[in-house]
Amino acid sequence: MKAEAQALKGHLDVLLLATLEDGPRHGYAVKEALRAGSGGRFDLPTGTIYPALHRLEQAGLIAGSWSRVDGRRRRTYRLTTTGSKRLHADRGNWQDFAAAVTALLERRPWPATH
Amino acid sequence: MASHPLIDAHLASLARRLPADTVDELADGPIETWHHHLAAGLTADRAAHAAITEFGTADRIADEFVVQAHGRHTARLLLATGPVMAIIWGTSLITAKVWTWPIQRPITVAYGVALLTVVVALLTAATSRHSYRRTHLGTLGALALAILDTTMIAAVVALAPHLVWPMGIAIPASLARIGLTIQTLPRPLTN
Repeated sequence: MKAEAQALKGHLDVLLLATLEDGPRHGYAVKEALRAGSGGRFDLPTGTIYPALHRLEQAGLIAGSWSRVDGRRRRTYRLTTTGSKRLHADRGNWQDFAAAVTALLERRPWPATH
Repeated sequence: MASHPLIDAHLASLARRLPADTVDELADGPIETWHHHLAAGLTADRAAHAAITEFGTADRIADEFVVQAHGRHTARLLLATGPVMAIIWGTSLITAKVWTWPIQRPITVAYGVALLTVVVALLTAATSRHSYRRTHLGTLGALALAILDTTMIAAVVALAPHLVWPMGIAIPASLARIGLTIQTLPRPLTN
């Protein structure tokens, strides 16, 4: 779990943005989407999701709004246009990076160097 | 909907370190998790323990907010660029022989004290690791620095007998810093 959290560093922002791509979610729902979407591998402590969401909101990548559910206040986040563009760009970068790593890790003879 | 005393105590612990709006938002997490576990058949106490464990300790959450606080980031950015700004303005003022300008000594001293206070405030915010309140000094320091930048530009325009070439770098740099500060002011979580 700790190793997974460590591996997430640097990728958390784009993953959080991706969880909001299909529509607005509140913090707990974001955490659940992250867990479910990763097949249970990225099951972060709920409390650590919120500071990251605040940072993304300050950066203008997501926007939050308050509502009232079951008598308590709930803050729901949606992707902004800027956030959507960032997600698109980061997704493309990741796919290129992942394709390169996958190609290198595939079992095959390495090219000879002189 | 009602919560559990253990969860309430956990949230009260967070409320001592974080803003009320943030704690309101955070409350949703453990309460949702608690209901989830209740629905799965756990007793109220076991569900509350599980919810708190999944939520994370108050110290960890509060520290995470501190590390990612806007004021702390702003303070670090301003301190990182501070030495360059100091060199640019220092060169400008020495080249323009600022000591010959018609400025009363108390005003110069007051400006220096204000600048030093801003630097201390920014350092306090930038090095904060556990206190969220201290990170607010970063935002206040940034605003104060924007005022000092404006004052300096106004003084140059009003009092400098002639402009020297380093001011061609210093003034746009200060204007850029003012613009950046205004642009990055924290947005209130009120909507």
